[in-house]
Amino acid sequence: MNCFEFRKLLLAEPRVRTSEQERHLAECAACASLAREMEAFESRVHDAMRVPVPEALAERVLLRRKIRTPALHVWALAASLAAAIGLGVYLYHPSDDGEERVLAAAALGGAHPAVAAIAHVLDEEPRMLKENRGVDPVVMRAAFTRLGLNLPANGTTVLYFDKCPMTGGAGNHVVLQTPFGQVTLILVPDRSFGARVLVADRDKTAIASPHGTGGYILIADSLRNVRQTEKLFM
Amino acid sequence: MLSNPKKPQFEALVRAYSAELYRYAYWLCRDRFLAEDLVQETFGRAWQSWERLRDDKAARSWLYTILRNEHARLFERKRFDIDEAADLDGLIDHTSAAPHEEIMMNQMLGALPRGYREPLVLQVLGGYSCAEIAEIIGISEGAVMTRLTRARLALRKLPGMAAARKVKSL
Repeated sequence: MNCFEFRKLLLAEPRVRTSEQERHLAECAACASLAREMEAFESRVHDAMRVPVPEALAERVLLRRKIRTPALHVWALAASLAAAIGLGVYLYHPSDDGEERVLAAAALGGAHPAVAAIAHVLDEEPRMLKENRGVDPVVMRAAFTRLGLNLPANGTTVLYFDKCPMTGGAGNHVVLQTPFGQVTLILVPDRSFGARVLVADRDKTAIASPHGTGGYILIADSLRNVRQTEKLFM
Repeated sequence: MLSNPKKPQFEALVRAYSAELYRYAYWLCRDRFLAEDLVQETFGRAWQSWERLRDDKAARSWLYTILRNEHARLFERKRFDIDEAADLDGLIDHTSAAPHEEIMMNQMLGALPRGYREPLVLQVLGGYSCAEIAEIIGISEGAVMTRLTRARLALRKLPGMAAARKVKSL
């Protein structure tokens, strides 16, 4: 095998190595160098091709085909959101001094959108953060603007942005690094929450609030961080 | 809920391949929403034809083929014919303003004519051999090799690919 034949095969099928190619590699330093460079190149191509996959895609396929009923986490979030909207339950509990009370998850139940959102963040988000690399700034800003929310230009970094399945449509799942730590924001357009609610579960605190023509759920590590971060978006 | 003995197998198939099919669909149509629609349609057709699948080992390629046909049916209504002599040199212009390496690679991939991009996606992401790609796309193995070579040569013009010109002189 000569250099021409080796390189022709290398460019067409770089993962394949015949015994003839191996022999040529051992004898030709230039082709060996090129082969090493091609490995790095292939890795770059592979990484670029691995575009983020929408959340819960398989679940949606199965639901469409009626193979299974809605599962926990994402679909619990979607389904419970619709339930909360439909019932219009009043869950806003100001205390005597006007401060919002933080409810325990048990008081709301696991099906409440804020509680389901916390479960989703704790159980699914680490994987999502690993998979998602690309954020379209135009689409993201439009999602905020649509709800009448402000996306701070300074001090925040977007770690993740993608569609989030909601009953009857889709919302957006945003993960941000803020001066108050990493927070998650679920944007729900065109569907108003029945009531504003603040809930703590495991080591997270979430606020679910109607806003503009829809609503949002904000999840952070503490009550203070939820409140401080919420002010950033107003 | 459907009562079908093959339901668990189908569910496993959806869970195993929906992500990679989505990426294949995305690189076919370059649109996230359409890509998801294509995946939905693909599994819809697969479910309808499930009983006809004799060999479970062939399921993956079968899904790729369904998706490809769905894409052609819904969005193209024609085969992905390409001009083998198409000049790919101009592709570098599409990335000149992009500052980040990964974004540049992404844009370059998007700028590749689909006839070149598709076999590359099938090989790099799908892990298919040239012969298998030839079967999925319906062209000769030699044509697949030519397209893959040309696609890689075009992509290797990105900054940092110092050896690109040397390889191009093949």
